[in-house]
Amino acid sequence: MTEPYVWWAILGITFATFLSRSSLHVLGHRLQVPHTLESALRYAPACALAAILVPDLVFVGGHLDLSFGNPRWLAGIVSAGIFAANRSMIASISGGMAVFWLLRAVHGG
Amino acid sequence: MHSKCVRWPISKITPSILSESITNDAGAVTPRDAFLRGVRELMPAWPGIFAWGLVTGVAMVKSGLSVTEATVLSLMAYAGSAQLAALPLMATFAPLWLVTLTAVTVNLRFVVYSVLTRKHFAHLGVQQRLWLGYLVGDIMFARFTAMVEREPDYPHRVQYYFGGAIANWVLWQISSLIGIFAATTIPTAWGLELAGTLTLVALLVPLCASRPVLAGVLVASVVSVLAHDIPMRLGLLLAIAFGVLAAFAVERARGES
Repeated sequence: MTEPYVWWAILGITFATFLSRSSLHVLGHRLQVPHTLESALRYAPACALAAILVPDLVFVGGHLDLSFGNPRWLAGIVSAGIFAANRSMIASISGGMAVFWLLRAVHGG
Repeated sequence: MHSKCVRWPISKITPSILSESITNDAGAVTPRDAFLRGVRELMPAWPGIFAWGLVTGVAMVKSGLSVTEATVLSLMAYAGSAQLAALPLMATFAPLWLVTLTAVTVNLRFVVYSVLTRKHFAHLGVQQRLWLGYLVGDIMFARFTAMVEREPDYPHRVQYYFGGAIANWVLWQISSLIGIFAATTIPTAWGLELAGTLTLVALLVPLCASRPVLAGVLVASVVSVLAHDIPMRLGLLLAIAFGVLAAFAVERARGES
């Protein structure tokens, strides 16, 4: 990569960070959000998490794979089950990873 | 190691935050307690944060950034998923506006997050509000909203937030730097990035306690898969929009508040 291009891109991504994360905080109470909208947005965090993590689990190399040959989504389900059962994040992450590595070893990948 | 990582920012970065509201009207809870509680409640997520930071560090170097460029990007943008989304674009010299806009859309969920949290921080100075925006992440946001819902009268919520957010920043930067400097020795074949995704799974599960949320999560999941190939990560926004609409519709239909 040529140097100036990369530095401009880094500045652009940094600008994106502050624009999206800080602008509403800086506006504070000056920005009024309709009550109905604000109450609907309570559901946004859960929806955002799902929309980030589900494609991560079900797409392999750009292709949808919901077969038992894809250990990622199976690990996700195990991870969710462990967390629902004992509320331990460490158990849930390491359990999911263990399943992922185990299945991958079984499949010979 | 952890206590060491966490100790320096308390004294160096946040003296003004810590001393700002020592009113002690809430009995035993001091701002320092609140800060440390934030740190403590973030810590269970450390394997996920660490693995994700490591993978992002490796990915930056493997896609062609120099060690300096990758380090500066990590320190300035502090945006795991936006950095990862921008890398393939940068590798092909995509136009700068496209790189920036993609980073914005990946980050847009934080605009929504800040609609929900800004009332807790509106009394702070502009500079502190800029920093708290820079420091926000999915994990601390989930922790913070759960805490203020459970304990609406908790006095030092700002310090609580900064405690967890700064701990997250330190963990992330350390792991990212390790990834950057050890990029050639860490095999991508380990699939470590999955640990980051599994952290989000653990954040999502406790949120799914009501029917509207379940409906929203279901719809958002389906839309995110269907809209996966839309450029600039706009599928993410579509999924959130449809998910919120679905959740809200179910809430209205059931007459819940």
